[in-house]
Amino acid sequence: MTDKTFALTRRALVGGAAMGLATAAHAQGPANVKVGLIVPLSGLYARPGAVMRMGAEMGIADVNAAGGVKALGGAKLQLVALDCGDTVEKAKNAAQRMVAQETDLVAATGSYLSSFTLAVSEVTERAGLPLLTLSYSDLLTERGFRHIFQTSATAAAQSELGLPELMKLAEAASGKRPKTVAIAMDNTGTSIATAKALKEKLFPQLGLQLVMDEVWTPPLTDATAFIQKVRSTRPDLFLFMPNAISDAKLGLEKLNEFGLGQGRIPTISFSITIAEPDMLQSVSPDVVQGIMTIVANWGVKGQEKLLADLKAKYKEPWMTQNVVSTYGDMWIVKEALEKAGKADRAAVSEALHTLDAGPAKYFPGGVLKFDDKGRRIGAGVVVVQWQNGVPATVYPNDLAVATPFWPKHA
Amino acid sequence: MQTLRSLALPLLVAAVYACIALVVTNSYYQLMLTLVLVWASFGLGWNILSGYTGLVSFGHAAFFGLGAYTTALGQLYFDLTPWLLIPAAAGVGGVAGLLVGLPTFRLRGHYFALAMLAYPLALLYVFEWLGYQELTLPIKREAPFTYMQFTDPRFYTLVALVMLLAIVAITRAVERSRFGMALLAIKQNEAAAEAAGIDTLNWKLRSIALSGAITGAVGAFYAVVLLVVTPSSVFGMLVSAQALTVSMFGGVGTVWGSLIGAAVLIPVSEILHAQLGARIPGIQGVVFGIAIVAVIIAAPEGVYWKVRDRLRRAGPAAAPTPAAPARVDLAAPSTPARAQRPDAWRTGKVLLSVKDLSISFGGLKAVQDVTFDIYEGMILGIIGPNGAGKTTLFNLLNGFLCPDAGEVLFDGRNMVGSKPHVLCQAGVGRTFQIMRPFPRMSVRDNVRVGAYVRAQSEEEARRLADDAVDRVGLSAVADKVAAELTTKELRLMELGRALAGKPRLLLLDETLAGLGHGEADEVVAVVQRLAREGVTIAIIEHTMQSMVRLVDRFLVLNHGAVLADGEPEAVTRNPQVIEAYLGKKWVAHADA
Repeated sequence: MTDKTFALTRRALVGGAAMGLATAAHAQGPANVKVGLIVPLSGLYARPGAVMRMGAEMGIADVNAAGGVKALGGAKLQLVALDCGDTVEKAKNAAQRMVAQETDLVAATGSYLSSFTLAVSEVTERAGLPLLTLSYSDLLTERGFRHIFQTSATAAAQSELGLPELMKLAEAASGKRPKTVAIAMDNTGTSIATAKALKEKLFPQLGLQLVMDEVWTPPLTDATAFIQKVRSTRPDLFLFMPNAISDAKLGLEKLNEFGLGQGRIPTISFSITIAEPDMLQSVSPDVVQGIMTIVANWGVKGQEKLLADLKAKYKEPWMTQNVVSTYGDMWIVKEALEKAGKADRAAVSEALHTLDAGPAKYFPGGVLKFDDKGRRIGAGVVVVQWQNGVPATVYPNDLAVATPFWPKHA
Repeated sequence: MQTLRSLALPLLVAAVYACIALVVTNSYYQLMLTLVLVWASFGLGWNILSGYTGLVSFGHAAFFGLGAYTTALGQLYFDLTPWLLIPAAAGVGGVAGLLVGLPTFRLRGHYFALAMLAYPLALLYVFEWLGYQELTLPIKREAPFTYMQFTDPRFYTLVALVMLLAIVAITRAVERSRFGMALLAIKQNEAAAEAAGIDTLNWKLRSIALSGAITGAVGAFYAVVLLVVTPSSVFGMLVSAQALTVSMFGGVGTVWGSLIGAAVLIPVSEILHAQLGARIPGIQGVVFGIAIVAVIIAAPEGVYWKVRDRLRRAGPAAAPTPAAPARVDLAAPSTPARAQRPDAWRTGKVLLSVKDLSISFGGLKAVQDVTFDIYEGMILGIIGPNGAGKTTLFNLLNGFLCPDAGEVLFDGRNMVGSKPHVLCQAGVGRTFQIMRPFPRMSVRDNVRVGAYVRAQSEEEARRLADDAVDRVGLSAVADKVAAELTTKELRLMELGRALAGKPRLLLLDETLAGLGHGEADEVVAVVQRLAREGVTIAIIEHTMQSMVRLVDRFLVLNHGAVLADGEPEAVTRNPQVIEAYLGKKWVAHADA
């Protein structure tokens, strides 16, 4: 009961006051438009959640600085952050709280881990609240939902988009086409989905022969066994797919110990884990030098000002997918509001379905347009390579901030 | 009837809860109302096993998760409705309970708890390996009611409430039957329960199967509420811990415990999360943890027991019943007992025949080549100095130990290798040197535990128990809890528990130990009366005096072997016996 009274008071103070004023006095400017951010702010995934919040705050600030939503008389966006915790149940609870108590939200973005996004979207879908997400599980947009919008390429699509480019890159740089490939991965949902697509479809298509296939259950305790196998099989490509910093660190250090690091065996990952700033807290830059990863979004050419803002405001060394995509989501919401012409979740959802806002500025490839399932049309990938202590975008060429190097191995 | 009456309060609480649920329109508060019921139900499922048997399970997430996956996979692949899948999940949980119980009940205490921990962890990896990292229950826009996807969240609360009430009713029914008595007896003293004729493994298996079934059904409903099932959300450590937290916070071994626990903890944790989560991320966990620790320190047995004890102490019911002295029909202990008894046993048949019985513990030959017979109707005194192997012999006779060699023929049947409860059913009752009462149960209930081995119905068990209580002269204190009894009363109560099963042979292990002189006489009188009523008795004692006038025959053990076997007069004059008891120099005195 205390909770209810408290919540009511708070709403009365913030939302209620704003809404009340809006209807009563037009002269004082349009009411703020609320956008939800439902991400893990506590628990195991608090760090990526915090980074997404940075992106959202910067996005809101920039949208407002650029004049807000013009169709609503320059209304400002306002962020409502909710902690979805570190379990599916907490995520569901937070989502329910969001739709029940923040009734004036027009859209939301979240929730990092695809399991959380699944739970959250079950709630937002039923409440008719449009949810933008950077999660890339295919399942998210395969359930026939009307109000979910996936900005990233899906897990299956990412490897299909990224690997052929890597092959071209390897061929151009080393003069010969890779023929053999080794996989070492954890058994999380993302890794398994990616590996399935690779093994069933891509390897045969690209003529790659799988010479090693190793799976571990996080946390990884010793990488010696599979790194030894890498040394004995000498693959042309080594796909190393950890989803925890500590696993990545163990594997890469062992790789170096065996003299296979620094790209002597071209090593590729499929998640942003290996390119997180946290990596440098546990390994030195030369251990990660040359490692590549295929990701759904990253800081790219043309976003220098944004990067500078991020460094100045939050002391983050570079922009990961979590920052850029969440930042971009705020602009998508703004576009949808302009199109909808009113601060109403149903109208915004409808606007997102019919949105066609040209090339995507904050997402690689494609346009700001969603297909029937809610997937962004033409969503591409970014290849990032660790170069001198910074993971730099090296592909696609028009977005690249550095030239990739491909080690010529003996 | 009693079960129905015991449901009156839960029904009232449920009615109030339902009214609140109907009034609440905020879908978030409604979700909380649903989740409180879900976790209370889960706690009750756990309580059926761990609360009543005392075998703490850290692994109930195994059943919970199997239930959740049954619903998710059943709907995903076979398009079945949760209305069918929830009962199906109960079946899966029950079977899983049996499969888990069979190997794991070999362990006790902490070992059991830790072994249970392994099951959900193993299942978590199995389901990951199977590729079920993330499952969602498909949305059913056309037939929401058929698939339990209610648009009005109040229905979830109502379904959960009905489920919880059913579980409360089951728990109440268990509590009041021999099932519950057996579990409580196991919790308080497994060895005594086994000796009282309770097939402990059997009851434990029933309990884990029922517990697993309930938990499976709750897990299934949880999947319906959350709509998303991942291995860590249903098999995770935190899930198993949730059952323990709500039950231990509220009180273990009572229906109210889990209800109180869930009703307090779930909303508090969520309010903390909602109010603090986005502002000082993580602080909610700290506050929640400290709050739990504080409550546990204040009420170690849980809120329910603390409050109940408070109320009892405050209420008038707390006035102690005047401790009426046990009315015992003293059969003139001054006169030699045997004189009053016909020596009928001399013409009777052999009830128990022991042949060449031996057991060693490593190099120690605790019992070696012991041979003797007990005739129907006799009182055999087994004596010997400390460490002579008397109690070990009893443990061999009633099945706690299995001999290395030899035979134990009871009524002509070889009973070697039979479990204690089987021997008890055959008619061998026993008491313990170190008393093994069920301290939280009343005298009558303590004795009733022993009656189930003979009783066909609750009614008969009550009758047998009352009869036994009367025979040992404890009618006056029959409603006291065992923890409040004196040593003598406890000895008599143990005797009564053994008697309630209508044994043909009663093994009494140092029944007179720790009693004052007058008290010992009272107990002796009871034993004599039992013998007159036709019960055959073997009694262990290491002091000879009290025994001489009680027994018909002596069996003297020393260093695990039979030293002498004969009539009291002959045995007390046997020089070897005197030497064993008093040392060599006394032999000369005795001869003189």
